[in-house]
Amino acid sequence: MVSGPPLAFLLVFFAAPTLIMVLASFRSPGEFGGLAPLVDASGRIDLNVDGYARLVTEPVFAQVFVKSAGYAALTTLVCLLLGYPLATLIARSAKKHRDLLLLLVILPFWSNFLIRIYAWMIILGPNAALARLVNRALAAFGADPVPLLFSAFAVLVCLVYVSLPFMVLPLYANLEKHDRTLLDAAQDLGANAWQRFWRITFPLSLPGVYAGAALVFIPALGVFAIPDILGGPDDTLIGNLIKQQFLETRDWPFGSVLSIVLTAAALALAGGATWVARRSGGASRA
Amino acid sequence: MNGKTFALLVAASFALAAPAYAKDELHLYNWNNYIAPETIKRFENTCHCEVIQTYYSDNDELLAKVAAGAKGYDVMVPTSNAVQTLIRGGQLMAIDKTAIPNLKNIDAAYLNTAFDPGNRYSVPYAMSTTIIGYNDVKMKELGLPTDTWAVIFDPKYLVKVKGRVTVLDSANELFAAALKYLGYSANDVDPKHWNEAATVIRKAKPYWAAFNASSYIKELTVGNVWLVHGYSNDIFQANQDAEAAHRPFHILQGMPKEGAVLAVDNMVIQKGAPRPDLALKFINFVLVGRNSADLTNLIGSGNPNLDAMKYIKPEILKLPAVFPPKDIQAKLEQLKDLTVAQRRLRNKLWTEIKAAK
Repeated sequence: MVSGPPLAFLLVFFAAPTLIMVLASFRSPGEFGGLAPLVDASGRIDLNVDGYARLVTEPVFAQVFVKSAGYAALTTLVCLLLGYPLATLIARSAKKHRDLLLLLVILPFWSNFLIRIYAWMIILGPNAALARLVNRALAAFGADPVPLLFSAFAVLVCLVYVSLPFMVLPLYANLEKHDRTLLDAAQDLGANAWQRFWRITFPLSLPGVYAGAALVFIPALGVFAIPDILGGPDDTLIGNLIKQQFLETRDWPFGSVLSIVLTAAALALAGGATWVARRSGGASRA
Repeated sequence: MNGKTFALLVAASFALAAPAYAKDELHLYNWNNYIAPETIKRFENTCHCEVIQTYYSDNDELLAKVAAGAKGYDVMVPTSNAVQTLIRGGQLMAIDKTAIPNLKNIDAAYLNTAFDPGNRYSVPYAMSTTIIGYNDVKMKELGLPTDTWAVIFDPKYLVKVKGRVTVLDSANELFAAALKYLGYSANDVDPKHWNEAATVIRKAKPYWAAFNASSYIKELTVGNVWLVHGYSNDIFQANQDAEAAHRPFHILQGMPKEGAVLAVDNMVIQKGAPRPDLALKFINFVLVGRNSADLTNLIGSGNPNLDAMKYIKPEILKLPAVFPPKDIQAKLEQLKDLTVAQRRLRNKLWTEIKAAK
C-alpha cells in the first residue's frame, strides 16, 4: 500500500484538482467566464453532460486527440532511437566521466523552456543556414523548396529536443546497473554483437524503456507552447484546444471535459506501461 | 531544523507575505510595452509613489485571470468588449469623475459608448486597428493590392505569396476580417454568415504560413513574412525595427477598404483595488495631452485625446490606420462580446478550421 506522505501528496496535488475538474465538466459556462452558478435562478441544480456530448457529436475534437497521440508517439520513438545509444554510451564510459556527461544531458534545463523554443525559430527560419542547405539539396533533386519553420517538422524537432533528457535519464539509470559479465559469458558462448544486444541488453533494459517512453509520451501529449510558436496552420494539438477553452472561448466546463479525457488517456498509458514493465521484469527474472 | 527556527521561519514568511499598506505603490496591469517609460517616471515624481507593472498579452488572459480571482490591481487597460464583460461580472469599481477633470480632453466620439454607457467604469486610453501589414518591396514586386482583405483571403492573390503570410491566431479577429471581406458587419452573429466566413478562411488557409500572434513582428522585420493580418501598433513597431536594422524595405500599414476592427483600450479600476486614490490620480495624469502623446509617439497607437494631437509626431498623425479619416472611421467597428452559445459555435468552427488539412 501507498504510505502516508506520498498518499497525502497524491490527494492534494492530483486527486483534489482532478475532482474539481470532474465537477466543473458537468456545469455550465458562465456568461463572463468561469462557471455558471450551480443553482440557477429558478432554483434548479444546473448539471449537464453537454460537454461530453460534444465529444461525440463534433468529431473534430476526437480527430485532434488522435493527431496529438500520433505526434507524441512519433516523438517517443525518435527519442528512443536517439536516446538509447546515448544512454548506453554514458553507462559504458569511465566512472569519472559519467557525472559530467549526465550533467551535459540536463544542461539545457538551465535555460528557460520558451527561450529554447524561440531559439529553434531562428535555427529553422527560412534565411538560416539549415533551411538554405536543405532547400539547396532539394533543388538539386528538382524538388520545390520546403519551409522548415511553422511546420509539423518544426514541432516534432522541438518536441524531441525538449523530451530527450527524459528518455536518456531512466535508460541510463537502468543500463548502468547491467552486469557486464553476462555479455562476456554470451560472447564466450559464441553470441555476436547484435545477438548480445538483442537477447541480453535490450530485454534487461525494458523497464528503463517503458519509464522513458511514459515520461516522454505523456508530457508530449498535452503540450501547447511548441505548436503555438513553431507550428503551421495545421498543427493544432489537444493542448492548444484546452488552452483555447480557458482563454478565448471562456468555456471552462468544456475545457475540463477535454482535460479529463487527456488525464484519463495519460493514466491509462502510465498504468499500461507499469503493468507491462512489471510483467516483463517478472519474465526476465524467471 | 529544530522547532524554534521553524516557527521563526514561518513567522518571517508571513511577515514578508503581508500586504505593504504603508508603501505608495500603484499596481498597473497592462499590455506589454503599452506605456512610455518617461510617462511612468513623471508620474512617479509627481505622486511620490512607485508604479508596479505586470503584463498580459491579450484580453482573454486578463479576463481568465480576474475570473479565477486575481486581486490587487489598481488600474487595468482592457479593450472595450472586455470592459463590458468585467462590468457585467461585477469586477470593476465605479470611477469618481470629479477626481479626473482631464476627462474633458477625450474626443466625445469615444465617450458614452454601448460598452460602458456614461463611462461609469472606464476611460479611453489608446486605440489600434486590425489591418493588413506588408513588405512594400515584395508587394510591389508581386503587384499585389494592399487595400483590401482579398489579398489575405482570395487564393487568386495568395498563390503569389504562399507561405509568406501570417494571420492572427484569434478566432474573433480572423472571423471579423472574413465577415468584413464578405461585406457583413464584424459583429454579425448569423450562423449562416459565420459558415460563409469559415469557408473563406478554410480556402485561404493552405496559403498561410501560420496562425501567429506572437512573433509576426519579428518575421516581418527580418523579411521571412511579407504580408500579415495584424494590429496597427505591431506593424508600426515592425517598421521601426526594420528601419533600425537598415533593411532594404519598409513594413507598411494597409487599411482595407471593406473596413476593419477598431480596438479601444480603456483604463479601469479593479473592484477592491488597494489604492483607488492613486488609480484616480494616475488616470487623470495619463489624460494630460503630453502624457497621452508619449505612448502614440512610442508605439504608433491611435489616440482619443484631443489635447494630445499637438504633441504627436506629424508622420504618425498622417497614418490612416492610426488616425483614420472620416470615411474610413465609418467602416471601423469595435468587436462586441459573444454569448456562451455563440462562443461555443465559434470555437467549433475555429477548431474545424485549424484541425482540417
